[in-house]
Amino acid sequence: MLRTFSLCLAILMPVTATAQSEADITAAIVDDHILPRYAALVVETMALAEVADSSCQPGDPALQAAFHDAFDAWIAVSHITFGPAETDGRYFALSFWPDTRSMTGRSLSTLIADADPIVSTAEAYATVSVAARGLYALEFLLFDPEVSTAGEDAYRCALVQAITADIAATAAQIEADWTGTFAALMRGAGSNDRFQSPDEALRVLFGSLTTGLEFTADLRLGRPLGTFDAPRAARAEARRSGRSLRHVALSLQSLADLADRLATGDPGLRQALADRFDIALDAAARLDDPIFAGVDDPQGRLRVEALQQRVQEVRDLVSSELGPKLGVAAGFNSLDGD
Amino acid sequence: MKTTILTTTALVGFVAGAATAQEAAEVLNTYADIAAAGYEDSLTTAQALEDAVATLIADPSPETLSAAREAWLEARVPYQQTEVFRFGNAIVDDWEGRVNAWPLDEGLIDYVDGAYGGPTDENELAALNVIANPTFTLSGTEIDATEITPTLLEETLHEADGVEANVATGYHAVEFLLWGQDLNGHGDGAGNRPYTDYVQGEGCTGGNCDRRADYLAAATELLVSDLEWMAAQWVDGGAARETLLADEQAGLSAMLTGMGSLSYGETAGERMRLGLMLNDPEEEHSCFADNTHNDHFFNGVGVRNVYLGRYSRVDGTLVSGPSLSDLVVAVDADLDTEMRSRLAAAVLALGEIKTAAEAGFAYDEMLERGNAGGETLIMGGVNGLIEQTQSIERVVTALGLDGIEFEGSDSLDNPSAVFQ
Repeated sequence: MLRTFSLCLAILMPVTATAQSEADITAAIVDDHILPRYAALVVETMALAEVADSSCQPGDPALQAAFHDAFDAWIAVSHITFGPAETDGRYFALSFWPDTRSMTGRSLSTLIADADPIVSTAEAYATVSVAARGLYALEFLLFDPEVSTAGEDAYRCALVQAITADIAATAAQIEADWTGTFAALMRGAGSNDRFQSPDEALRVLFGSLTTGLEFTADLRLGRPLGTFDAPRAARAEARRSGRSLRHVALSLQSLADLADRLATGDPGLRQALADRFDIALDAAARLDDPIFAGVDDPQGRLRVEALQQRVQEVRDLVSSELGPKLGVAAGFNSLDGD
Repeated sequence: MKTTILTTTALVGFVAGAATAQEAAEVLNTYADIAAAGYEDSLTTAQALEDAVATLIADPSPETLSAAREAWLEARVPYQQTEVFRFGNAIVDDWEGRVNAWPLDEGLIDYVDGAYGGPTDENELAALNVIANPTFTLSGTEIDATEITPTLLEETLHEADGVEANVATGYHAVEFLLWGQDLNGHGDGAGNRPYTDYVQGEGCTGGNCDRRADYLAAATELLVSDLEWMAAQWVDGGAARETLLADEQAGLSAMLTGMGSLSYGETAGERMRLGLMLNDPEEEHSCFADNTHNDHFFNGVGVRNVYLGRYSRVDGTLVSGPSLSDLVVAVDADLDTEMRSRLAAAVLALGEIKTAAEAGFAYDEMLERGNAGGETLIMGGVNGLIEQTQSIERVVTALGLDGIEFEGSDSLDNPSAVFQ
């Protein structure tokens, strides 16, 4: 009996210490990784909506620049999909991709052909199909040869304004929920029902890292690669605006920051992670193929595959070293399934 | 930190005592028994469907068509409860696409309405119509489809050109052949294929009624043989059961992986929430028959079956035994209560969708833009499934299984499989 008791005591102390450092890691990630990125998204999407108010035509340089800035800000935080981004499906409202049934082009074409009056306000527009909302729909309106010239200029202008206002509103809702309630829930993990222990908060953050890497390797790179016999260059993400490779690099930069923070307290692992991420980012920087058009020929395909392999090596290190260090495995993720 | 975790886990095992090891084996046995019963029920109801299809083809009439549809609907009840075995058991996941692939570009198989369109960026074969075309070109190769056989469907047409939407086999291909396209949009009514699509010779509608009948017979035959194979994997000595029982920790992990992946990424995410947010009437799991409310409901029931270790068979008999719930009670009774209440809440929320659909508010109507009542119903189901997933993750931790790699989803345990 006594022996059991002292055994319990012995493990109690390290557990307490662990819980404390876990809470610190979580709080730092919330304050220094998540909140600044969502704040930047709000700034950039509001700026985009303001520019669209005065310049709504596809070829407008100011509108295109604002589009790119807002999209950059989204990709930098798009791996934080839980909590406020999950509420009411806001993630999909900002970011409907991959579009496996080519619904974005069709949905926009239908709205334009019908001159659907739903574009009159952002609130009304929030009820339309997510295929016609968010940054990927806006990309079609600005860059797709057919959609960007369909119907009347005035209607497409109203559509651009409705979509950009809706994007800004969605981003603002996510940020408001983070600063209002969700950040506190994460910092207070262990004393609320959403996160019943510090481990649970850490698991969600670790899951964001692994799912983010999976998304970049399997979807951003894997979809255009297709198979050797059937490469699918047309499936490259945001290829119409030339952003496919840029998304890979931006996501890796953000994920590297998250990984580094999760490895707090283990200098060796931090260095190892930084090295692997750098190798992958280098491969992205050296790849002269912004929309992965090269997947159609064997040489070009090899280079895209090599980049995918570098991302895969980051994933391997994260799951073999970082997960065990944290003592958590990734939970279930939204990519499970068909 | 690593050491601490191991010590804690070891202590849990120590406190729970020797009973845990023995119970774990029993829990896995219950799970395998439920799987065996579920696939056997799926098989017998599919055989009944095959009989009804044979009668329809031999004697097409409104009555025989309606009987075949009824048999299809009945066959879905046990099958949907087995989907929880898919994630976590590689043998099921590798096979599942043959019987339950979705969504499909149905124009591959048969005639479609003009609004359906032609080939798309994603799928050049979206409007191939193999029933009307005995020969065609596939990725540069001339294909002879003069004889429609199970082999043609399985080996040539299914996932042709590497496109997943080319679904040539399974429940949803049969569903399309029995109901046809649902052309009512968000309005009342399911697909309305006339029985005359199967009338041979004079009176045939839709053209090529002989080839359509051949296709339906071949697809149904294939469904039965695929289910036969899977049912055999779960009986004593079957490969699925043997793999499961070989490693207790991995086996328990497989059970929970199936529960969590089906609840979250698959049902709550891809099938329900995304469908709702797309406002697309084709974003229903069974879009031809308007049976989606049952698909989701019986998925939810299947998840609960696994946790509670009980399954009510199609003949009313009960399969039950030691369960995950028993294991969780031993380590954290509060968590067991939380898990049970969330499973019950999710089944109830999915049941509300089913109830409304059966009272005439069809699932495709719920998906309509601006339909607030439909959104509330569907999001109730989604939120229930998301909350139960959080509890499932807690169960994984409580049973000390979080050091084990989740498996079963291609993208998670074998990234290279995604590119095959």
